[in-house]
Amino acid sequence: MQTSAVTIGRASAMPAPTWHFLNMNDTVIEVPAGLAISPSVKVSEPYSAKGAADEFENALADAQEAWEQDHPAPTAEELATREEFLAAEADATYGGTAQSAYQVVADAIEESRSLAVAFEHGVGDEAAAYLRYAAGERVVVQADPGKQVDAQVVVAAVPGTVSAAAIDVIADAGSSVNLSIVVEADADASGQAPQPEGITGTTVRVFADDGAQVSITRTQALDEGFTDIDDTGLFAADDARIDVRQTILGGSATFTGLAGDLRGDSSRIDVDTRYLGHSDRKLDLNYSLRHHGPKSRCNLQANGVLAGRASKTLRGTIDLVRGCKGAEGAENETVLLVDEGVHNKTVPVILCNEDDVAGNHGATIGHIRDEQLFYLTSRGLSQEAAERMFVAAIVEQAAIDAPDEAAKDAVVRLGERLAPGFAELFEEGV
Amino acid sequence: MSNGALLRCCGLSAAVEEKQILHEIDFEVPQGEVHVLMGPNGAGKSTLGHVLMGDPVYDITAGSIEFDGADITELTPDKRSLAGMFLSFQAPVEIPGVPLRSFLRAMVEGRGEKMKNKEFRKQTKALAETLDMDPAYLDRELGVGFSGGEKKKVEMLQLLMLKPKLAILDETDSGLDVDALSVVSRGMELYREQCDGTLLIITHNTRILEHLNVDRVHVMVAGRMVAYGTASLIEEIDAQGFERYEAAVAID
Repeated sequence: MQTSAVTIGRASAMPAPTWHFLNMNDTVIEVPAGLAISPSVKVSEPYSAKGAADEFENALADAQEAWEQDHPAPTAEELATREEFLAAEADATYGGTAQSAYQVVADAIEESRSLAVAFEHGVGDEAAAYLRYAAGERVVVQADPGKQVDAQVVVAAVPGTVSAAAIDVIADAGSSVNLSIVVEADADASGQAPQPEGITGTTVRVFADDGAQVSITRTQALDEGFTDIDDTGLFAADDARIDVRQTILGGSATFTGLAGDLRGDSSRIDVDTRYLGHSDRKLDLNYSLRHHGPKSRCNLQANGVLAGRASKTLRGTIDLVRGCKGAEGAENETVLLVDEGVHNKTVPVILCNEDDVAGNHGATIGHIRDEQLFYLTSRGLSQEAAERMFVAAIVEQAAIDAPDEAAKDAVVRLGERLAPGFAELFEEGV
Repeated sequence: MSNGALLRCCGLSAAVEEKQILHEIDFEVPQGEVHVLMGPNGAGKSTLGHVLMGDPVYDITAGSIEFDGADITELTPDKRSLAGMFLSFQAPVEIPGVPLRSFLRAMVEGRGEKMKNKEFRKQTKALAETLDMDPAYLDRELGVGFSGGEKKKVEMLQLLMLKPKLAILDETDSGLDVDALSVVSRGMELYREQCDGTLLIITHNTRILEHLNVDRVHVMVAGRMVAYGTASLIEEIDAQGFERYEAAVAID
């Protein structure tokens, strides 16, 4: 089956119209006409870990029931008191507090008291729906209570196709899931000129039940010419912990989005993103984490290098929703700008509707620090050579940190294409 | 002054943010010799090491630095390194995101050396083992989470890879336990053996000098060179400290 041209608008949109005015919400994903919908996906998981197609929905429904027991709906009397309070507030302040579109939607989500409604996709519903359509059958990885499951999904980029995977992870109470996703270049098509076109993508839904631990690594090492869409939605129950590590090295355009609902008490989500922008690459990253659970924690960490004429937009939103007492959210980004032609946008947003919470953000954007530069130049590297070293280092570090052989092989192949001889660094037996 | 000096400072003065730190330093280090620079805390020893290497934090306000027959006073640190100078840092920096191996390779490539990656891996692994370093450190981010001893071993590893004409070792022995000190000493000996290297050692600890034949000792106080002599000066300073030198500077 071949695709018609598809335009996915309002992808990875920021939660307020202000960002639209500042051109932060202009992300559009173009799927060219004529591509074949042909997922090239290899899955490696224990047979016992294969879950039913509706496992995620069932898990969320069970969580809804448990959550409602702990959080009973307000009584008619409480609702009336609230209405009175809001009306009084409106009268007292020039007709009330202006609400952004985001706040209106956010309030509607909270008032719905539905975990399914609150569950979001990082790149947006439209992109997630397209990837689900392109992927066909879902890969469902399930860990029974107290068990551990290791799974791997390899998505190969095939020229002229849309190659996508839709993955659900359901980690039952006290279980542990390690999922490695590798998005790799097509070995046969590498180095072809002109660069072949194609789309790769994954849409991942994660349900981590009480005390479960989920670790996801996604390693993307595509050739130029490919567009990659990385969509993730997370749900964390009481004491659940989800770690996500994203390594974004190749492709012509990358759309990465992660949304998470820290619903449970003391739930935790950590996201560590490493990216490399070079040539004319476009990177678009969007993170949105909503704290509902008291003492929940999140930490968004991004480290990247931009060279050539690469452009990158990173939006990080932490929303501390009413009721999440003692919650802490932090986001931090370090970007090294190697060339003058790069474009970098970083927008951290922290929204707060609760006392006794902490939200921190920081960004370090620019060149190498003076003391680091002196150290490197004292070893014979010019400033330019020192900054180039960071470009090579990010690929090398990705190979060193690769969670498995498939991820390592994909990174080493990319490294070899960028710098012949790179593979020798990782040959066995030296 | 002899004509065979590898390093020669003439009337070298330097300042940081308009505060004068070094005052009219005159000294020289001939090729192949081992010189020791001693002095109380705050004497300006480390500053001198950094000024010699071209740290842009400092402004040279007077005088000149000659190295291997050329005036390098205006050269940037990378050019000084390529000319054959090396500074082992008292507190080596951490560089997150850069594996030690990537840094070492960039350092070698920066010298225009054509070395196959396979050969490079063999060499670095062998050197790491010589210095009792776990080769796994080569895959770790430069300096990140390294102990003080491990950081100093990495400095020695670079010294042995680069084989500079002159190595300035700034308190390389500070904060090291006996085992790490022994490894650092071994690195210095190997450097001397392999390339007849010239050393300028900035130290408080005379233990690191036990296996080296020291040719000359220089004493700095308050940013000035106040004395020089043979290795016997080390024992004298060990016994009597720097008081008489400090007193002499105070009278001046």
